[in-house]
Amino acid sequence: MEKKTLVTRSMVALILISIAMVVSPAVNSLPGGIGGDSIQTAGCNCHGGADAGVTPSITGLPSEYNASEVYTITISMTGGPAESGVNAGGFNLWSSDGEFFPQDATVESRAPSEVTHTEAGNDYRTWSVEWVAPSHGRDVDFILHTNAVNGDGTQSDADDWNRLDLSVAGSLGPGLESADPFKVLGTLIIISIVMLAATLLYGFYRTSPETFDWEHLAPYVVEWLTSTDHKKIGTLYFVASLFFLGLGGIMAMLIRIQLATPGNDFISQDQYNQFFTLHGTVMIFLAAMPLINGFANWIVPLQIGAPDLALPRLNALSFWLQPFAAILIFTGVFTSQGADTGWTGYAPYVVSGGAHHGVTMWVAGQIMLVASSTLTGINFLTTIAVMRADGMGWMQMPLFTWSVLVANLCLFLSIPAFGVGLIQVYLDRTISTAFYDIAAGGDPLLWSHLFWYFGHPEVYVVIIPAFGVISEVIATSARRSIFGYRSMIYAMAGIAVVSFIVYGHHMFTSGMSPTLRFVTMLTTMLVAVPTGIKIFNWLKTMHGGSLVYRTHTLWALGFLVTFTLGGISGMFFPAVAMDVHLHETYFVIAHFHYVLVGGTLFGFFSAIYYWYPKMTGRMMDERLGTLHFLTAFISYNGIFWPMHRLGVVGMARRQHTYFISTDDFTALPEWAADWNMFISVCAFLFFFSNFFLVANLVLTLARGEKAPADPWGGWSFEWMTSSPPPTPSFDWHNRPVLKDANEHIANEPSRFGAWFNRLMVPEDEEEVSH
Amino acid sequence: MGFITPIFDALWSEFVLWSALVGGITFGWLYHHSFFYRSEEGVDNNVDNLQVGVFPVHYDNLKLEVTWTLVPFILIVYLAFISWAPLDNVWTSADSDGDYGEECTTQTSSNLVWDEGEGKYTAECYHVIELVGFQWDWDFDCFDLAADICEETMVTIEGNDKKNINLKQGEVYLVEMYSQDVTHSPWFVSMGNKEDIQPSQTTNLWLPVDEVENFLMLCAEYCGDNHAYMIAGVSVHA
Repeated sequence: MEKKTLVTRSMVALILISIAMVVSPAVNSLPGGIGGDSIQTAGCNCHGGADAGVTPSITGLPSEYNASEVYTITISMTGGPAESGVNAGGFNLWSSDGEFFPQDATVESRAPSEVTHTEAGNDYRTWSVEWVAPSHGRDVDFILHTNAVNGDGTQSDADDWNRLDLSVAGSLGPGLESADPFKVLGTLIIISIVMLAATLLYGFYRTSPETFDWEHLAPYVVEWLTSTDHKKIGTLYFVASLFFLGLGGIMAMLIRIQLATPGNDFISQDQYNQFFTLHGTVMIFLAAMPLINGFANWIVPLQIGAPDLALPRLNALSFWLQPFAAILIFTGVFTSQGADTGWTGYAPYVVSGGAHHGVTMWVAGQIMLVASSTLTGINFLTTIAVMRADGMGWMQMPLFTWSVLVANLCLFLSIPAFGVGLIQVYLDRTISTAFYDIAAGGDPLLWSHLFWYFGHPEVYVVIIPAFGVISEVIATSARRSIFGYRSMIYAMAGIAVVSFIVYGHHMFTSGMSPTLRFVTMLTTMLVAVPTGIKIFNWLKTMHGGSLVYRTHTLWALGFLVTFTLGGISGMFFPAVAMDVHLHETYFVIAHFHYVLVGGTLFGFFSAIYYWYPKMTGRMMDERLGTLHFLTAFISYNGIFWPMHRLGVVGMARRQHTYFISTDDFTALPEWAADWNMFISVCAFLFFFSNFFLVANLVLTLARGEKAPADPWGGWSFEWMTSSPPPTPSFDWHNRPVLKDANEHIANEPSRFGAWFNRLMVPEDEEEVSH
Repeated sequence: MGFITPIFDALWSEFVLWSALVGGITFGWLYHHSFFYRSEEGVDNNVDNLQVGVFPVHYDNLKLEVTWTLVPFILIVYLAFISWAPLDNVWTSADSDGDYGEECTTQTSSNLVWDEGEGKYTAECYHVIELVGFQWDWDFDCFDLAADICEETMVTIEGNDKKNINLKQGEVYLVEMYSQDVTHSPWFVSMGNKEDIQPSQTTNLWLPVDEVENFLMLCAEYCGDNHAYMIAGVSVHA
């Protein structure tokens, strides 16, 4: 075959595939129908076209309402096809505020401020409903849709509908226009991007004010976009993670405003569902993991005396997959069709027609993140296995490097299951395969197994590197060797191994086999043993030490408090009899935020204050740092500690509202509403407390005191290089050699170390030439 | 009434006790060392002579490390053991070997009893009812049970017409459940009990009813737009 023909055919195939990829999701995304939010924009388009012959009307509404007064409204219409006695018509009435109460079985509420006809009400063209006016005295808008049907039982063109808009004045006038939360989110994203760009430009300007022009800026930007240097990629990960941490935080604030009072309508259920889904996805995959990868990129090569990672281009690819994955994950949000499945994306809902169209792109984005994480895992395992400096056996590696090794092994063994599940969901949603289609014999529990086989080890993937940070910080701050270096490593390895046999505790109420539930109850409890070893070893490290209080020390001590609390609350879930009550409650929310925020985030806040001088050559401001710690630590506990109690008394997660006990039914006690308000206030304090960190990062980058090579008195190789380190970080031909204060055992690899060395590095390839 | 339900009341209390003990020891230790071993202002007392490029001298103690491996392990074994007991009651079999005997004839009472010594409920027989979940509502079916033992009605909850099931104090119900569309999870909050329902399988849940109370049943597993309003009433009468 001629080369030209081959190229032509390839081009045609590529174009067809591209068209198919563009069209495939689009054919599913046409809005329409009468249900949900769309009626306000699309109207009753299942009942023929709008017809001026049908005239909706409302009586009983005043021209100006009195605050909190009850009005009885009559909804009716004239015109349209003749009534047949059955299926005469229907209506939908929406108000911008106030609350409707149906008076009989012909009317039902869709939401506090929206009513429609029931099946019985379909036989009438007049309905009554009570409306309780709001207390704020601002103007209220009403939108009424009525449809007149001919009673033939079909939604034919002979049926007609029309719309009526009216406004009832309040004593205080129109008030402020409420913004669409998606527009608020979009605006905040744009502001964040602009602020980030301005900060980066300022950083460039400060580097060299005299060369602040496009000719110098363009190559500077290109250098950042194309660099394969581990330090630059680490910085990119770091900046991206802080950006998404802020974005996830904004979504958390929207969630907390909604939950501040029961029955709040700040955001709709639909918007709330998207925000908590994206909050979870963003915080785990786009904030926590990049934050860890940022420090792993920066510090691991420096700690093992390597000039760079083993596969620098692969490293750049790993990073650059992430921004594009993020765009895919957020695609749906820009059309109000963001993923609404929860970060767990349980089947069969995730493949059902009820889930938003944005779920498809959300899944596609996560598939890209799986690829990114896999490539990152390959890179770090290879680097740590083959590029350690002379004198650094496995049992002489710094504990942060050990933690990254264990976390990546854990990730490497778990993430393929998640990838397989995501691809199955993607195929189900795009080309109608039937992995999770119940009618075709699909199994929804398969997704739960695949997800949690990855999901539980993933928790350890993000917490184990924080263990590494805390080990470094506590030992250096106490001016001591870490207590029980070997048992620290065995404990990390033990946690990683056990993490693969505990995931069933997420499925105690799933209908899974009781035998499997019992086995995972036992294994889950076992995790407490290696975790306890680590906590006691950190405490013993401080014994007889000389603790120097710096901001990173405060965060490490704070970590010990919050992570211990998270570990203790985690012990309640393996007991199945308690879990069947606590599962999917705010007790769970409290527990995993104590682990993931109080553990991972606090650990990496400590890492920021500890390694920032090394990364930038500037010392951070200790006063701002202390202020950051105090405000964040107090407000953080104010958010999550009360959630334990709320969960126990029955507050369910993933619900945009909650019910307070009435005379008729027992639900949450009245004080639950007060605590929710308190939590929301603390959430805002916590959110804004982190601006002390942002200010500290930016101000000290510009004006911070110059940092020496080893400001804290650490022992590992990163403190041997200048601050910031040169590129390459170490000379390929003059790498450092690790000495060992324990001369009698220096350079004697353990049995495990010798075996792992043989496994990873064939003898004839031990020499790495460059 | 216990904290939530007598089945795990004792378990809860014991876990809280051990949590307080472990937390007390850890935080006491942390508080003491944080202040007792802090450095003097401006003094760098390099206790273990940490030097850049030198792997530090080992600081360990095998006896201590084994101690805080074994002691938590023993505590874990104990907690696992006490967590085991309520499972018999939660997952008891639906036949004469089980804690609730066999299915009652239509009008017979279960005669539910809380056995303080054994820490579990027992009954002479149980009633079977059905619960079906669908986006975003529930359906109950009492089959042929007398209205005094089980009856389906409607109630208004926060302006919404919702299903309600009337149950009788002192009876035990085996709820057979399935879903018509996606995963749901009926949560009988005041009874501290929930179980997922799937469209492809029938799951079961025991309801030993021993408190007179009207409470809400929520959906605990996220199921789409109107998930928060997928509620029903449960009314227990004497």
